Amino acid sequence: MTPTHAVQEAVRAVSRQLPGGYAGKLLRVDLTSGRSWSVEWSPEEMRTYIGGVGLGAKILYEEVPPDVGWDHPDNRLVLATGPLAGLPVWGTGGLTVVTRGALTNGATSTQANGFFGANLKFSGYDAIVIQGQAPRWVYLSINDDTVELRNAASLVGKDTWETQDALSAELGVSGHQLSVYSIGPAGENLVRFAAIQGDYGHVASKNGCGAVMGKKKLKAVAIVRGTKAVTAADPRGLFQAADDIAHDLKTNPLAKSLYEYGTLPGVVNLSKLGVLPIKNYTTNVVPEGVDFSRWEAPKLRQGFDHRGHQCNACGMHHCHIQVIPSGPHKGERVDEPEYEGWSGAGWTIGLTDPVAVSWLNTRIDRACVDVNEFGWVVGWVMECVEKGYITKEQLGFELKWGDADGAYRLLRMITHRQGFGDLLAEGVKRAAEKLGGPARECAVYTLKGATPRGHDHRGRWDEMLDTCTASTGTLETGNPVFPQEMGQPARINIFDGDQVAKLVAGLLGRRHFEDSLGICIFTTRTTIQNICQALSAAAGWPYALEEAVRFGRRTAAILRAFNLRCGIGPDFEYPSPRYGSTPIDGPAKDQAVMKQWERMRELWYEGVGYDPKTGKPLPETLTQLGLDWLRRDLWGK
Amino acid sequence: MPKVGARHATVEVTGWVTKFVGGDGSGRKLYTEPVAAGDTVRDILRRVSARHPELDAALWDASKRELGENIEVLVNDAVLGISHTLDSELQPGDHLTLVGQYMGG
Ligand code: SF4
Repeated sequence: MTPTHAVQEAVRAVSRQLPGGYAGKLLRVDLTSGRSWSVEWSPEEMRTYIGGVGLGAKILYEEVPPDVGWDHPDNRLVLATGPLAGLPVWGTGGLTVVTRGALTNGATSTQANGFFGANLKFSGYDAIVIQGQAPRWVYLSINDDTVELRNAASLVGKDTWETQDALSAELGVSGHQLSVYSIGPAGENLVRFAAIQGDYGHVASKNGCGAVMGKKKLKAVAIVRGTKAVTAADPRGLFQAADDIAHDLKTNPLAKSLYEYGTLPGVVNLSKLGVLPIKNYTTNVVPEGVDFSRWEAPKLRQGFDHRGHQCNACGMHHCHIQVIPSGPHKGERVDEPEYEGWSGAGWTIGLTDPVAVSWLNTRIDRACVDVNEFGWVVGWVMECVEKGYITKEQLGFELKWGDADGAYRLLRMITHRQGFGDLLAEGVKRAAEKLGGPARECAVYTLKGATPRGHDHRGRWDEMLDTCTASTGTLETGNPVFPQEMGQPARINIFDGDQVAKLVAGLLGRRHFEDSLGICIFTTRTTIQNICQALSAAAGWPYALEEAVRFGRRTAAILRAFNLRCGIGPDFEYPSPRYGSTPIDGPAKDQAVMKQWERMRELWYEGVGYDPKTGKPLPETLTQLGLDWLRRDLWGK
Repeated sequence: MPKVGARHATVEVTGWVTKFVGGDGSGRKLYTEPVAAGDTVRDILRRVSARHPELDAALWDASKRELGENIEVLVNDAVLGISHTLDSELQPGDHLTLVGQYMGG
């Protein structure tokens, strides 16, 4: 046998063993040289790292050494999907972005939906790994086996919707046949909380992944729906699992509201619990005079002319395109905000008119920054202006709580780094530290440099602990529908630090499991067993809950090791003074999280098997997780 | 049966939870419940849910002794656990609120 034949035979042998649901290849792109190539990955690696964040964490750890910061050409931008993407389970267009992010300069894992994951798989790839820096603006075009870096000069300055429109015209493909994920002006100008947005309304938003893409001078990735088949190892089993999942989503009391209204019920529910963040944490009580009935989920939906805008294979009544019904922007097409949009573009900045919020939210998506960080930045500025810590002269104009036009003006200043916007483009933590004094005390952030999602976590301590200890710039747990599946109680006293810490530790990595499958986290509101069943049927592995739990904790350990190597350790696992302050009103009034914080951290470390002094996963923890190689890296033994 | 000499507490069912008591998932439904000496949060909730099978199924866990994972209870606008537990005695004039738990971002 000649060497060529030997290689071909080896490749065939690998493909014979290829688990169902996988394309079996990663597309590698070097922007510096303009070269692209594909590499096989082995079935063993697939079982160990699954895809999505699991695969991304491995690549990040192996290929991004500590001296390669977020803005270094050698930083990797991994766009990965997983084994369920493209299969007939609801919500299987999932994309996970993994990189070293601009806000924390540590690991990032952030998700979006739409069609990208499915289109990528149909093109024959499980992930795209991007390195280098292009000499001029380019976009990556994938159309089955044709992979090209194309000139993006004409796209520079366009927002994300304009970019998608332009590429649709250029490529002659539209609708679900084309998925485009791009950066807006914010990413081009290296705003530290720039996001990556796709398919008109889906955003991978966390930890400045859009700034990484901007630094690489990559304006967009456009994938035409490919022609390669993706099959499950056990199609009947997969259909059964898909049916079981859909049934749960439609009937489980907790999932049913998500099925009917997506995240719209969040505003009313969370306000009742004191978790709706109003005016930058100055209160969580809805102000007198606000017509709160407009914020009920059915009203939010009926208040707009809307039509469904579901993602790949999804049956949820969730994503919609709306038409602005009144006001100065009447008739504009926008995407229906997620809860996070209602919060970040609305309540956090004191804006309580749903029509204005919906408009602003889409402007944020199109300029392409993280709506949460935007809310914390603008809310902070508004409070500082009110208190005189930031002057009109510094800002350049008058700004008051709830001023939609003022917020939009700030958005443009931030995305173009103009005037005071240049400082704000650094994100809340850096801007607050630069200004210092009492202004700093008002800012909501974690010491790692990220900000929380759109909640008042002073009434949701589990998410505060998770946000502060996580390695990704956002959450690593997230409550499953049935915490009992992971040995956790159905409910806890949410202001008992011991119970909170044990719960968060017990759930570590759960989200990594879901985020590695190529499926939306809203369509996994079922038992973890059902998700494992879908994975088993897709891949042809007998995959049980224990393996899912171990996988999630393994991924968390790799991401933590990456961050530790970058100098991000336990000293950063704290909320800023305002973030960790005690609410003065509302249902969580007088509940002081910081009184219990050290004890919570201690219990969390114990629960996850990490060393509280160094933050390192203990040697025995690493061995249990099958990470002896990491044990040698971290402990030298 | 309400005890002799009972006065009243209110039970407010809000937003999504109204679906379990014949509503459309918005607004609120208010119930006035007699409270007698010794009545606990649990007693009042049991009485209300006994009249609404769907609420009963959603509110309680399988043992029917503890709350399930779907609905949060506030007592006088404070989350259960701050000033009250399920076994706290209620006073006339107290106000219970049922709020659907919420997942998602
Ligand atoms: S639940 Fe919503 S975001 Fe998720 S896949 Fe379905 S339509 Fe898309």
